[in-house]
Amino acid sequence: MKKYTYLILGILVVPLLSACASRIKMTTKLAEFPLMYEERPASILILPPMNESTAADAKEYYSTTIQEPLAFAGYYTFPYPITSEILKMEGIYDTELLVNLPLSKFKEYFGADAVLFTTIKKWDLSYVVLASTLTVSIDCKLKSTTSNQTLWKYTGTVVVDLSGGNTGGGLAGLIAKVIVAAVQSAVADYVPHARQANYRALSSMPYGKYHPGYNKDQQAKFFDQTPEANKTK
Amino acid sequence: MRKIYFGVFFTALCYLASAGCAPQKMYYFGNYSKSLYSFEKNQNDKSLIKHKQELETIITESESRNLPVPPGIYAELGYVNLKSNNSKEAIRLFQAESQLYPESRHLMDRLIQSATSKNDPSSK
Repeated sequence: MKKYTYLILGILVVPLLSACASRIKMTTKLAEFPLMYEERPASILILPPMNESTAADAKEYYSTTIQEPLAFAGYYTFPYPITSEILKMEGIYDTELLVNLPLSKFKEYFGADAVLFTTIKKWDLSYVVLASTLTVSIDCKLKSTTSNQTLWKYTGTVVVDLSGGNTGGGLAGLIAKVIVAAVQSAVADYVPHARQANYRALSSMPYGKYHPGYNKDQQAKFFDQTPEANKTK
Repeated sequence: MRKIYFGVFFTALCYLASAGCAPQKMYYFGNYSKSLYSFEKNQNDKSLIKHKQELETIITESESRNLPVPPGIYAELGYVNLKSNNSKEAIRLFQAESQLYPESRHLMDRLIQSATSKNDPSSK
């Protein structure tokens, strides 16, 4: 019996240790993204993501699930189905073409305060008997349309557990869960998981004007996951 | 013994489940992303009608819950109406978006203009 107590303790302690090992440090939103508080963008134009992953669907999954978390963070998001179509009509199918364009164009045309550039680096599904996961690596940058500066960014990997809540019921429940995961993979209904990945990627973004915490979260702490090599400062 | 293993497993699952906590209720989004994904993946009349219904549901549900309609929803429904040549309703919805979210005014004015001239920008 005691043996298992140690086992449980071990499970609880290991994540703490691994957090120290990878030297994740705490930082505040103000320290990391001071320009967000200076410029206070209210509206965000989501650009079609650049897909460098091997998953062909990654682009659609990303673009259909990004508006919701941005809105909940307190920003006005331009309706993606409309803006992406307008960009297409203007001959811009790929965000690659936009990278070197002056961002003031987006202010002129859409009235956007900031644009969100995203590169999907990895979009992997893995199925293991007990835990199926979706691993999403993205690189996002929120750039100002007035100063052309990067206001906020996120580089990192989010792992979403696809097995959902515990169905209970001991071994039979487990088997049912595995079957559920397998069926879900067959219908490829990953929208909720993609949305969850986006929620987590955006968690370090300071709140926008429609959020009750707007301009009150300067000292909010988060884990800085950005690899040292990617830091510009 | 087996019970303990499942106990451990259960605890681990709870951790995972709690990590993805739902955000506070500022808006009602219904099944927006699912419905939009289905439409983007399979653009046909059926998926368009379904997505249009979803947008309408979000508006009525938001109203009945006393929540503001989420950003972009009025505009998107307006755009669907514009494409099916229902310019009058489209203009009304673009105006609603513009009123609720002043950040959208610039784009909405453009869309209202193209709806007024019945010059659908998507048909070019």
